[in-house]
Amino acid sequence: MEWLESLTFIQRGVIAGVVIGFVSPILGAFLLVRRITIISEALSHITLTGIAAGIFMSQAIAFVSFLNPLYMGFLFSLIGSLLIEKLRQWYKHFEELAIPIILSTGVGLSAILMSASGSATTEWYNYLFGSIITVSLADLSFIIITALLAIAIMSFMYKEFLVISFDQEFASVSGVPVKRMNILFSVLIALVISMAMKVVGILLVGAMITLPVAASIQIAKSFRQILLLGIVFGQVSMIGGIISSYYLNVATGGMVVVVSILLLMLAMGIKKLQHA
Amino acid sequence: MISVFFQYDFLMYAMFTGIMVGFLAPFLGVFLVVRRMSLIADALSHVTLTGIAFSLLLGRHFSLFQGLNPLYLGAGFSVGASLLIERLRNVYTYYKELAIPIILSAGIGLGVVFISLADGFTNDLFSYLFGSVVTITQSDFRLIAAITLFVSGFIILFYKELFFLSFDEEQAIISGMPKRFIQWMFIIIVALVIAASMRVVGILLVSSLMTIPVASAMRLAKGFKQTFIYAVIFGEISVIVGLVASFHLNLAPGGTIVMIAVLILLITLFFTRGRHT
Repeated sequence: MEWLESLTFIQRGVIAGVVIGFVSPILGAFLLVRRITIISEALSHITLTGIAAGIFMSQAIAFVSFLNPLYMGFLFSLIGSLLIEKLRQWYKHFEELAIPIILSTGVGLSAILMSASGSATTEWYNYLFGSIITVSLADLSFIIITALLAIAIMSFMYKEFLVISFDQEFASVSGVPVKRMNILFSVLIALVISMAMKVVGILLVGAMITLPVAASIQIAKSFRQILLLGIVFGQVSMIGGIISSYYLNVATGGMVVVVSILLLMLAMGIKKLQHA
Repeated sequence: MISVFFQYDFLMYAMFTGIMVGFLAPFLGVFLVVRRMSLIADALSHVTLTGIAFSLLLGRHFSLFQGLNPLYLGAGFSVGASLLIERLRNVYTYYKELAIPIILSAGIGLGVVFISLADGFTNDLFSYLFGSVVTITQSDFRLIAAITLFVSGFIILFYKELFFLSFDEEQAIISGMPKRFIQWMFIIIVALVIAASMRVVGILLVSSLMTIPVASAMRLAKGFKQTFIYAVIFGEISVIVGLVASFHLNLAPGGTIVMIAVLILLITLFFTRGRHT
């Protein structure tokens, strides 16, 4: 890990971006076929609460001040994903209500914590909209470790996740421990979101997870193609976004999303041509 | 504690707009939740931010736009986005639910680009995101009052049609209802209410005020009418208590308003344990 220390801040940002552009579309593909892409929005907002709580606590209690707020963010988003499952059971006929409830609670609590903590608003904008130049060494190692963990989970459980995503009942009949797998899946979502948020920002994590796969599903003909094209689109929008944001002097997260929207429109155009 | 709100003009505006919003948002929210469109409010509110950012950017470069209240462009963008959502639903026939996250992220992404082009990462933006008690002007107050009148008028006139469309769309169409017209008006009204509520509760929290009081009301109510009554009562309690608390504790009003709504939800969930709505 020594080479990590010799990196300049811009190199750290680019490496973090490439890692995120690789992992988030893979998760996105699973979320897409499970029809729960919107969950990434809810969990990213609750991650913000965790981060706000982390910063608030580190100001109040000296003993936690060494803790990277990203860990708190991860913890909150994990709790959030478990809560969503619970709420779905309570609102049996209106399952979709679980997401806005968690999303709102997340933003509401963060707003209170942010205004109570008294930190300058500009510091919060980094967390909200992402910033590529503030990726510290500790952040980069957090990103790499969580990415490796996420990739490990996804490649070991690839088959199980795939079966559950397409047909839960069939999966449980054929002996897949559905309940345990779903919890593991929640851990995975929380990992990826807390990993991506430092660079693209809370409000844009959902975009990184959904937009590349939304584009790839227009062209792809199999799940594997969705994965591969999703990664390609994710990388192009990450790198394209970082470079263009540098030259245009615009917030990185925004440019990354704009590039991936352009790719989405391109994919839609290609699909139209194929059908014409 | 409350009396201070009637001593200063700006606080009075905040209180009155809050009361209007506390009525409008949950009222419309009932229709949204019943029609399973609660997430649309999230997408549209994020796009409203894009419109506001665009308006700020234009104001920087063209003096013509300087005097314009950013709320107008915000509402305009969110109406445009609602049309786009419908289009996207046709593009993704098998994954209709993708339309919302796509529009939501596109809205925020573009919004961020506009904001940074306008050098807008300031305290002003924070009050747009999370609401503010002190920035509500007389012009905001007038605009929101007009929106309230318009929306209430529409709902009173078309209550039956909206009710019918929410519960039995097919029957409604067969009996010759102008579905398209009502649908359009409904979406436009949602966009307007979002723009109206945004000043007090902030963009990121508008949709909360539309869904959370309704979610609590649904646990208690025994009919459609009761759902409205409970939702509006919960909405008003959250807004009034939230505004007063946020002013005295110096917190973002959007946050306190929503957390009070969440508190009410938790209490109702606790007392209705075991029931499956």
